[in-house]
Amino acid sequence: MNKPFENSTICEDSQLLLQKAARDQIETVWERHQAQQPQCGFCEMGLSCRNCVMGPCRVDPFGEGPQKGVCGADADIIVARNLGRMIAAGAASHSDHGRDLVDVLGEVGSGNGSGYQIRDPEKLKRVAAEYGVATDGKDDFQIAAGLADAMKEDYGCKQKSITLISRAPAKRQELWNNLGVTPRGIDRETSEMMHRTHMGVDNDWQSLLLHGVRNALSDGWGGSMIATEVSDILFGTPTPRATRFNVGVLAKDQVNIIVHGHNPVVSEMVLHAAQSEEMLKLAESKGAKGINLAGVCCTGNELLMRHGVAMAGNHLSTELVLSTGAVEMMLVDYQCIMPSLATVASCYHTKMISTSDKARFPGMEHQEFHPENAAETAMTVVRQAVENFANRGEAFIPVDSVDALGGFSVESIVNALGGSPDPLIDAIKAGKIRGAVGIVGCNNPKIKQDHGHVSLAQRLIENDILVVDTGCAAVANAKAGFKMTDAAELAGPGLQEICGALGVPPVLHMGSCVDNVRILVLASALANALNVDISDLPIAGAAPEWYSEKAATIGVYFVASGVFTVLGPMPPITGSLNIVNLLTEGLNDVVGATFAVEPDPEKAAILIRRHIESKRKALGLPAEDV
Amino acid sequence: MEYVIIGNGVAGISAAESIRQLDADGNITMIGDESGLPYCRPMISMVLEGTATPNQLPIRKAKFYDTLNIAPIFGERVTDIDVGSRTVQVGTAQSVAYDRLLIATGADPRPINAQNQELKNISYMRTSLHVANMLQSLAGTRDALVLGGGLVGFKAAYGLLRRGLKVTMLIGSGYPLSLQVDQTAGQMILKELVAQGLKVKVGVEVTAFEGQDKVEAAQISDGSKIACDMVVIGKGVLPALSFVPRDHIEVDLGIMVNAHMQTSNPHVYAAGDVAEYIDVARNSRWVNAIWPEAVSQGRIAGINMAGRPVAYAGSLSRNVIRIFDLDVLTGGLVTPPHENGYEVMSAMHAGRNTYRKMVFCDQRLVGFTMVNDIEQGGVLMALMHHQIPLTIPKEALLDTRFNFKQVMTHGAWAASPKAA
Amino acid sequence: MKKVIVHPERCVGCMQCMLACAAAHSKTKSLFLAVSEKPQPKPRVHVGVGLYEEGFPNRCRHCNPAPCQLACLPGAIFRDNEIDTVLIDPDKCINCASCAMACPFGVIRYHEDAVAPPGKTVAVKCDNCYERRQQKRIPACVEACMVAALTFETEAAAMKRKTDEISRSVSTGAETAALSPGFELLNTLKKVQIEMRNP
Repeated sequence: MNKPFENSTICEDSQLLLQKAARDQIETVWERHQAQQPQCGFCEMGLSCRNCVMGPCRVDPFGEGPQKGVCGADADIIVARNLGRMIAAGAASHSDHGRDLVDVLGEVGSGNGSGYQIRDPEKLKRVAAEYGVATDGKDDFQIAAGLADAMKEDYGCKQKSITLISRAPAKRQELWNNLGVTPRGIDRETSEMMHRTHMGVDNDWQSLLLHGVRNALSDGWGGSMIATEVSDILFGTPTPRATRFNVGVLAKDQVNIIVHGHNPVVSEMVLHAAQSEEMLKLAESKGAKGINLAGVCCTGNELLMRHGVAMAGNHLSTELVLSTGAVEMMLVDYQCIMPSLATVASCYHTKMISTSDKARFPGMEHQEFHPENAAETAMTVVRQAVENFANRGEAFIPVDSVDALGGFSVESIVNALGGSPDPLIDAIKAGKIRGAVGIVGCNNPKIKQDHGHVSLAQRLIENDILVVDTGCAAVANAKAGFKMTDAAELAGPGLQEICGALGVPPVLHMGSCVDNVRILVLASALANALNVDISDLPIAGAAPEWYSEKAATIGVYFVASGVFTVLGPMPPITGSLNIVNLLTEGLNDVVGATFAVEPDPEKAAILIRRHIESKRKALGLPAEDV
Repeated sequence: MEYVIIGNGVAGISAAESIRQLDADGNITMIGDESGLPYCRPMISMVLEGTATPNQLPIRKAKFYDTLNIAPIFGERVTDIDVGSRTVQVGTAQSVAYDRLLIATGADPRPINAQNQELKNISYMRTSLHVANMLQSLAGTRDALVLGGGLVGFKAAYGLLRRGLKVTMLIGSGYPLSLQVDQTAGQMILKELVAQGLKVKVGVEVTAFEGQDKVEAAQISDGSKIACDMVVIGKGVLPALSFVPRDHIEVDLGIMVNAHMQTSNPHVYAAGDVAEYIDVARNSRWVNAIWPEAVSQGRIAGINMAGRPVAYAGSLSRNVIRIFDLDVLTGGLVTPPHENGYEVMSAMHAGRNTYRKMVFCDQRLVGFTMVNDIEQGGVLMALMHHQIPLTIPKEALLDTRFNFKQVMTHGAWAASPKAA
Repeated sequence: MKKVIVHPERCVGCMQCMLACAAAHSKTKSLFLAVSEKPQPKPRVHVGVGLYEEGFPNRCRHCNPAPCQLACLPGAIFRDNEIDTVLIDPDKCINCASCAMACPFGVIRYHEDAVAPPGKTVAVKCDNCYERRQQKRIPACVEACMVAALTFETEAAAMKRKTDEISRSVSTGAETAALSPGFELLNTLKKVQIEMRNP
């Protein structure tokens, strides 16, 4: 018989904790996924529409039952509506996260941001310049206030196009203009998508999907990009630093605090409090050897990138981390936080704290963080965590952590390259590096945990393809050891040589899921250096285990920016073969890139390698047959 | 054609009905020692428990014998069979001739070896009369002693607990229900009963009873004494075949039959608790003295006696027990001998309080135990009964989501040897 | 006689038949009101899951002879020949679960029910929508099924359709067109995912 839970996850820590969870009678996401089977085929195919109350409606994929909703929408329209709303939700999530950072930036500018600072004034000035915000003779606070105002304009409807779109290669901008998909305002496009998908508005599935492209671009080159840039300005632009991964980062003899969610606005303050003299003394007085702050999900990635904070796991591990019984407190902000978590925590001493007024959870204590109270609220909750150390029962930390190097922003990559992207371009031209791939996205119980990410990354680096990753994919690849300093040994000879020379691993951790925009910026820099469009580059994207609406939006802005993107799980679109064909073939003529869907990472690797070699060939670079 | 059926239990009744369906004219005689209407024996424990009433017990109406034109001889036991002259001896005076004879005499409780068994309030639990008597003496009793950890013992203990008595159970050896369920399920059941107040003593037997008129105490083999004012003996059953001429009809533990329920004498058939046929799970001869086997075997015997050759796939043990909040369903070989290459898999889900154990021989399911979530038990029984080789991962059967579709997907039913 | 016929290859697992069945066997016959009834109405049709997470509407086949009927201790399970339906008398049922051991399809459940004596757990299974049929309405599960995975027709008609389908598929040069290419695509990918989890 197989090892227990080997079918659920490739991670040893997860396997062992799943056994413990079973013993402790904890229900996990895997069990709930099993209990949901079979999942509704109408919904899986995108053929159910709940947008109005003449409905709900569904279309029979076999052609025998109803073929139109009450309003007359056919399968194409219904699938396009659903996909459109999915994109809107993803864009809204990232962009609203960005807005919260802009608010903090504004508060800091006006002197109300208790505890927040401008950590990267250089970047503040650079971005302000992009926004046309005057910097001469102004202090950082005045610039911050001006930039925050300018960014808020991007959210509204006063602009012809959002500002940071100008970072894209000129050819790409022109293509978007000709297609009429240049985003005009971040909120506007999401709002318009909700309007268009209302009954009786846009009932041309192609036009709906084109707006989907515009909506996704408003996230990738808008909301998400603002989130990343403002985070860098407020908390520092990441530089490479050592860190550790998996549940082994929990400390037996320290107060363990886990931050979960996405926005660094909360976790940065908690980190600060956890490192304060006062709290460390308190911890000592309670018999703890220190305060160990670790992350799960993307807020963890944010802290990792800037401070080397360790990561206990990714999406599917979030319940299991609690089942160690070693966590004094988990603080959550928003996104990807399973409502089941407090139930798991209730089996142990773990305190669960929700922090955002827009994200509340059953069974959690609510301690709302605002810019003006963030520093003191952080002290309050950390004190509670430390005091909870005494209540810890038996802890089960079954593995040792894995070392890794993280913190690769575009700036730090260019720095590592010696100040310009040229060495990377030369290596690509010479074929030492065949190309680069961004592996991004989530975990999904439909795919064995981390199997998609890790198998794909392994095949790519073996074949001299540089991998950059973000989000839960980045945590997966780190757990697998691909980010240890000597991981270059796992790569093909060409990539190994380059990594060795630069002292970097073959898989570069580029941050959280909003940080996917760093990949866009990097791709633009390469395209500009080669004087081509992004779609001409030997690069690709992959979301092998995606689950969330945000990931759908990321996929669309990748493809719309010219990046061939392979999805693991199928999005809910198979109800319309027209739409399947458009996304997997037709888009090539529109944006120069397509989606592919391939759950098997071995096959996905082949698709990607073929794509990269074909792009090399088109650029006149030495190419191989795959 | 003269059909004679010895036994008025469900095997005999099912046989009579099958004969009548195929042969409208033949004469059917039924001989039974229990007078009164044929009743549902497994339900007597529910009468004791109070979840069924005595008037729910009869399985056929009074006019049944008239409707099917059956000549009944009740209140008598058969004393001999003369296979040469094809007659059966009933009591001392009566002799009945047959062309086709069915022996469906069932089983009698296994006697125990203890002194003073004639005291009042000491009873077996085999017949509706036993239970009626127990119920009558309930009012004056407080402490019951149940002998035997088998199915009858457990049902008696459960019924008496639900009636508010204090119950002590003596189990000779092993763990409770060792013939019906595996050790884990046995312990789960025991835990449930103990939680509800049952006292259990393992590895002891009663050597003698004490009392003036009624039983007052029992002497135990470990030298102790247990005060009790009611005793129920449930130490299993033995086939009722003392009258069978062993030199003419082959007898092992039960009367040996072939796939047509025919004994070594071609005019004589046997079915139900008294018959011994191939157990498909054990792949060897076995007496499965259980109600659903009696129904099936009686039916098959009747069809064959009426001249239509129909073969029986084999017998199979099975049981379902509901004890407080625990549903336990078992089938086939629940505890295989380790040495014979059986493969055993089990899964316990503490949160849902479920347990499943599957026993495989090569690709065939040959036994299972399930505690709670028992709705799919019949699918497993059918897999075993038809000896269908599994083409799906065996682990699938441990999952509470297992259902008919999962075996259908892989054409397991089509691969059945019967279909081929 | 028309009967409910299951076409498992068409089931998309939406479970609408279960909702409709539970509502049809409630006191109020309305889904919205039925959810607050006591006892809670429960479905007699059960959408099970196959090894590839495909749906499967599992309901009583009304076998003849019915193994559950043969196994029923108190004689509560009987056949109504006029409507070719195996029924359970909730007043006679003693909830012994003998039928659980007997049903080779696993379609019998045990719970309180609107037509059973209050507070009594009984064996419950499909009654071919006995009540609706008397009102000349088709069974609720069939009415709810939008993909014709459940149909109400004579066995002969269904057989003929199936025979014709098979005959066409074996004609020389016949193309075997997928019933729904999109559904097949989805299922192919799902199968890959599942096989990766269970190698």
